[in-house]
Amino acid sequence: MRYVLRRLAFFLLTLWVALTLNFVLPRLMPGNPATAIIGKFRGGISPQAVKVLEAQFGIGTHQNLVAQYVRYLGDVATLKFGVSLTTQPGASVGRIVLDAIPWTLGLVGITTVLAFILGTVIGIVSAWWRGGRMDSLLPPVFVIMTVIPYFWIGLVLILIFGVKLRWLPYFFSYNYTLTPGFNAAFISNVAEHAILPAFTLLITTIGVWILTMRNTMITTLAEDYVRMARAKGLPARRIMFDYAARNAILPNLTGFAMSLGFVVGGAILIEEVFNYQGVGYLLLQAVNNDDYPLMQALFLLITVAVLVAILLSDLATAILDPRTRTAG
Amino acid sequence: MRLRRLTVIAVLATVALLAAACGGSSSSSSPSASSKAAPSGVLTIDNESGGTWTCDFNPFNLSYISYSLGNVYEPLVFVNTLQDAKVTPWLATSWTWGAGNKTLTFTIRNGVKFSNGDPLTAADVVYTFNLLKAHKTLDINSVWSVLSSVAQQGSDQVVMTFKTAAVPYFYYIGDQIGIVDQKIWSTVANPVTYPDKNPVGTGAFMVSSSSCTPQNIKYTANPHYWQSGLPKVGTVNYPAFLTNDTANTYLANGQAQWGSQFIPNIQAFYLSKSPNYHYWFPPVANVSVFINLTNPILKNVAVRQAMAYAIDRHKASLIGEYGYEPASNQAGIVTPTFSGWLDAPQAASYGNNYAYSPQKAISILEQAGFKRGSDGIFQTPSGQPLSFTILDNGGFSDWVAAVNVIQQDLKAIGIQVKADNVAYSTWQSDLYAGQFQLAYGSETGGPSPYYELRQWLYSANSAPIGTAAGSNFERYSNPATDQLINEYGATTSPATQHSIVNQLQAVMLKEVPVIPVTESVDWFQYDTGSFSGWPTQGNPYAQPAAYNYPDWGQVMLQLAPKS
Repeated sequence: MRYVLRRLAFFLLTLWVALTLNFVLPRLMPGNPATAIIGKFRGGISPQAVKVLEAQFGIGTHQNLVAQYVRYLGDVATLKFGVSLTTQPGASVGRIVLDAIPWTLGLVGITTVLAFILGTVIGIVSAWWRGGRMDSLLPPVFVIMTVIPYFWIGLVLILIFGVKLRWLPYFFSYNYTLTPGFNAAFISNVAEHAILPAFTLLITTIGVWILTMRNTMITTLAEDYVRMARAKGLPARRIMFDYAARNAILPNLTGFAMSLGFVVGGAILIEEVFNYQGVGYLLLQAVNNDDYPLMQALFLLITVAVLVAILLSDLATAILDPRTRTAG
Repeated sequence: MRLRRLTVIAVLATVALLAAACGGSSSSSSPSASSKAAPSGVLTIDNESGGTWTCDFNPFNLSYISYSLGNVYEPLVFVNTLQDAKVTPWLATSWTWGAGNKTLTFTIRNGVKFSNGDPLTAADVVYTFNLLKAHKTLDINSVWSVLSSVAQQGSDQVVMTFKTAAVPYFYYIGDQIGIVDQKIWSTVANPVTYPDKNPVGTGAFMVSSSSCTPQNIKYTANPHYWQSGLPKVGTVNYPAFLTNDTANTYLANGQAQWGSQFIPNIQAFYLSKSPNYHYWFPPVANVSVFINLTNPILKNVAVRQAMAYAIDRHKASLIGEYGYEPASNQAGIVTPTFSGWLDAPQAASYGNNYAYSPQKAISILEQAGFKRGSDGIFQTPSGQPLSFTILDNGGFSDWVAAVNVIQQDLKAIGIQVKADNVAYSTWQSDLYAGQFQLAYGSETGGPSPYYELRQWLYSANSAPIGTAAGSNFERYSNPATDQLINEYGATTSPATQHSIVNQLQAVMLKEVPVIPVTESVDWFQYDTGSFSGWPTQGNPYAQPAAYNYPDWGQVMLQLAPKS
């Protein structure tokens, strides 16, 4: 119990630090939204009109920084993120992010989970039959895939399956002539459009999970209790999954939780290559356009997601591994 | 072993899934057979916007105006930049200037209806303009800086009264403002933030919140459009592309027919894919080197003239822009679009319009008293080297390449230039604030050379160093030039206009405040296999890019699907 409380307190402290950094950093960046707005008017706007705009959006009001900070904290607590300044002027930041999030969560989230599960299974099996045919083939192949830049692999897959063979669509998240809705036609269309980007992401991220799982498994397999279980004649599958894997998976869990947290940051290169509207590309746009409110909201989203994920993984580790509970 | 079999089954299952999916391919829009009566066919636009759509169509918001002005909302007239500012009646049937060019009277067309059935009246026009007066942020082109009142006269006329004569503002007033329905907009609480998701306009196309998603805007033909028989195209799709590369691939595959893209190596990537693929890049404005005229060394006109002689514009155009953007000239007149305005004899007397000549550049510097140092770089009499940085937008790879050529050309004549390729926002804020020595950039221009010359040379457009200026980034200021520009604003006589533009060209040639290097173009690719009626070099009835407003509305009216 004390362990849980300590973790919660630590979580709140890191959250506050993250919020403060999120407030300070964008304001330290060069450039300001006012000139970005003038740029949008492309030389056809008078200085008076610029001043009116600035006042409307609250830039250059030279408000006390502390007052701004306090107001910012209040806004965050009530989930008020304001309106976008330059990316989609006037549109609510919350709505912009909510539009993009499901696509990122769907594509990147599901692929990350799949990669973790598949990678872990392959790692376990490779470790059990280390030196065998599967172990000699799969881990090296996938590790090489991890090193190759995933946008390059994406482009190659587009060339083969999209352009030359025309088997799969490779643009957009769904055929834009369809109206979005929860019907079979739309959902299958979304799934069809997600195959290539998901596959690219899958084969380039699976290598890490295979390798770490395999290595921790090998260490675990050298333990005495495993030898005891084999001597006792337990079937290989039972030892592998019920005893060795459960212990070996713990380090991987923390890594998995963190990568889940980062899912909300999107995979920007995948989104660029496949023209998939997600959060990653939104963040790039916001940074390029000095769009403070959107930037802040996205940074906040990523930080909070990672922190929550770490908290949950700590709690999960506490549940799965009694040793962490008593050490506190 | 059982586990190995499981893995094999899993792999087979994945392959089977992929094979099952191989039946589907992304649907390409193919025009259906068209009957003369009903609009038909699906036109797909290919213009990378860099983000997803918000589906707002407020015609007074610069972020959304290019998606509704021209095809959904219509202006009073159409001014064609490519036909020497030829004016065609649109919602207005005629117009006259009053005494001293201080009043402008439009006669509004009869029989035009908004897409919801409301008739268009002069009252709607008056309301639109007074809306801009009441909310300064909607007045994108600052027309109320010269207007004093807009009022209805009789049943179908609108009289606009000017504070000072400003004839060139006819373009902004007549061509750049969409007329809205008073009955709808008078009920809007805040027109500045009004998203206008279901725009009601007089235009040939309609769009609604149900036909617009973050990924695609679908315009459908307006069955009650006031020009009967038009439009001939039934549906227009405008998908959202995040990057240039995806947009270019989509166009090359034939899934879109109307491109407005910069395509490197267009022959291999696009033209070779089909004999029906064509392109045309009409030049409309200049990309120039802006010279900070407050800099003590650059103040010396000899330095600027030398630089103008030293830059090989053709090479910059070839290497930076694949030759797509023609070379500019120092008089600043975009050719061939505005060739009729170029004072050729005057330009010829300035070294043949500052034709590329490194020897001339060197001799100008030597005659001005600069001496080459031991490193080959010229120095002022007091020993300061002619060494500058040029501010550039690092995000535009073509500009980076052009600046590289400029850098080498200037080095060859003994002026050292370091390229500062920075992020877009930094480039913009430094350019506007005058925080540069040399800078590479462009103005927007307009339907005749006067607009760009005014943006370059009018001192009121500028601002002190450190404050953002709307244009005139080089901080040029000369009361005599200001007076010329004001005089142009007061006249409708073509002879006077040409004479003034000739004098403004003289300023460009004598004083070299900016050095135009290449001419910026409208990017335009088109597929003649699926649609006919495209604007071409032989028939330039409108600016052809999908991002030119309201010209793109004119193009959409002329296109017809091929069966």
